[in-house]
Amino acid sequence: MKELMNVSTIGFDVAVIGAGPAGISCAASLADIGLEVVILDEQANPGGQIYKNIEKVSDACLKILGEDYKAGKPLVQRFRNSKLTYFSGACVWQVNTDGHIFYSKEGNSHEIAARYIVVATGAMERPVPFPGWTLPGVMGAGGANNLIKNGGVKPSGRVVLAGSGPLLLLEAVHLIEMDVEIGAILETTPAVPNLSSLVNLPKALKRIDLLKKGIVMLHKIRKAGIKHYKGIRNLTAKGNDRVESVHAMKADIPLDIDTDLLLVHFGVIPNTAIFRQLECRHQWNDVQRYWFPQCDKWGRTSLDNVFAAGDGCFVHGAVSAALKGELTALAIAADMKMIHEHERDKQCAEIEMRLKLELAPRQFIDAMYSPSQALYKMPTETTICRCECITMAEILEAIDEGCVDPNEIKALLRPGMGPCQGKMCGSVISEIISMHTRKDIREAGSLNIRPPLKNIPLSEIAEIELLTK
Amino acid sequence: MFSLYDVTDKTVTIILDGIPQEVPAGISVAAAVLGKGHVHTRVSPVSGEPRAPYCMMGVCYECMMEIDGHRDQQSCQILVKEGMTVNRQILITEGPQ
Repeated sequence: MKELMNVSTIGFDVAVIGAGPAGISCAASLADIGLEVVILDEQANPGGQIYKNIEKVSDACLKILGEDYKAGKPLVQRFRNSKLTYFSGACVWQVNTDGHIFYSKEGNSHEIAARYIVVATGAMERPVPFPGWTLPGVMGAGGANNLIKNGGVKPSGRVVLAGSGPLLLLEAVHLIEMDVEIGAILETTPAVPNLSSLVNLPKALKRIDLLKKGIVMLHKIRKAGIKHYKGIRNLTAKGNDRVESVHAMKADIPLDIDTDLLLVHFGVIPNTAIFRQLECRHQWNDVQRYWFPQCDKWGRTSLDNVFAAGDGCFVHGAVSAALKGELTALAIAADMKMIHEHERDKQCAEIEMRLKLELAPRQFIDAMYSPSQALYKMPTETTICRCECITMAEILEAIDEGCVDPNEIKALLRPGMGPCQGKMCGSVISEIISMHTRKDIREAGSLNIRPPLKNIPLSEIAEIELLTK
Repeated sequence: MFSLYDVTDKTVTIILDGIPQEVPAGISVAAAVLGKGHVHTRVSPVSGEPRAPYCMMGVCYECMMEIDGHRDQQSCQILVKEGMTVNRQILITEGPQ
């Protein structure tokens, strides 16, 4: 594999954005077929968030992270052996519908062009603001999990985990195995599973192995003697310059727990920034409450040359992401007449069978951990936009004054104008508008995403060598 | 909040807030600074409140630090290198650039 360092502008058959399981599988498949592929990734090494550091991880860490993490090794190995162009540490900051992509690497920006674009930017933890969430010592549980994968750094002191979803419990198990003290697990998930999840249980039983994993996790947590509360409300982080304690309500009983670190997780949602910037058509997932780009089974979006692969198009998990990446590769290969449509469909049938089995328990899990819109009923003092320090009170005041579009609120108060470009507050503001105007979320609108997607200096933009058409 | 372990393995030295610090090789700058026991890595230029890395996956920008002379770098996405200069952005007067 060649790793180009100083080439400013190149044309490719396919540009893949993101080197997680979907991106690397798609890119490797396309390269195997003989297409000129470039893959751009923000991180230093391939694997995405889920298989972060998989190539260099220590045996001790591997033991903690388990078989699901280890599954990334052959994927990354195959990718490393592929004949393609890989730019690591490359932040894409603009994608044009004509296939031109701008990215920043080591302080310099470049432009490339490709006939097809595969956006495999994955998912992110759902941002859910609560009082005190900006205090140092409050962190995403997925973020803390990345630290474990990195190796060398681990939580010290007492940790409290709060939120909802299987990854919260998985993080608890990892911490138990690292001998980290857990003060409590505070789940917002109700103690009794909702009916809609139970309807999906028979289908989920097809993958009893996956359900067993969940039961083993709960058993480990119980065996470790950790206090585990369900159906908690009013989550609050307290402290002066750092988190010192966590407060929550369990029914009418207040819980107050001293802590050094509060890890929160409220499920994962697709990172739609590039799809939004491209103005791809989006759909709403009512069960998991997130927007995702509308696409066909191949991942083709409302734009003919733009594909979505992996969790970025719908959260299905890492194994499915790799399979979805392969489906996208087949579609592009057939489009470019590199394989016959019969061959495409034959291979597709095999992949779809594996995908079906992988997705069998998904509806059950998604419904069981379905977030309630009530999550967004934050107290007025809560910071909603972390970058610009805009509170719930300010946003409610704007809504009361008639600002009922997220973009009007952005123009008035600046949420979404800071370095993160609304990635942390955009979905939250739409939920707040929907709740307070009693409008369906689909009518509440979304923040427009404009380039540059990443925080880069103007001087860098001015110095790009542009492609001549 | 966090601590380092396995530092006996391969390490690099970074200059953190002017002081040479030995940290494990192959980890992100944000991980190294947290592992060295620092609680906050910047102050919000808007409110002056202390902030620390939140998402650790390149989304939130709370981990911004000055790396090798460049301000506002996403330290969770950049790996430590031998001799790298890292400064936390903790002076309120600095403000945004």
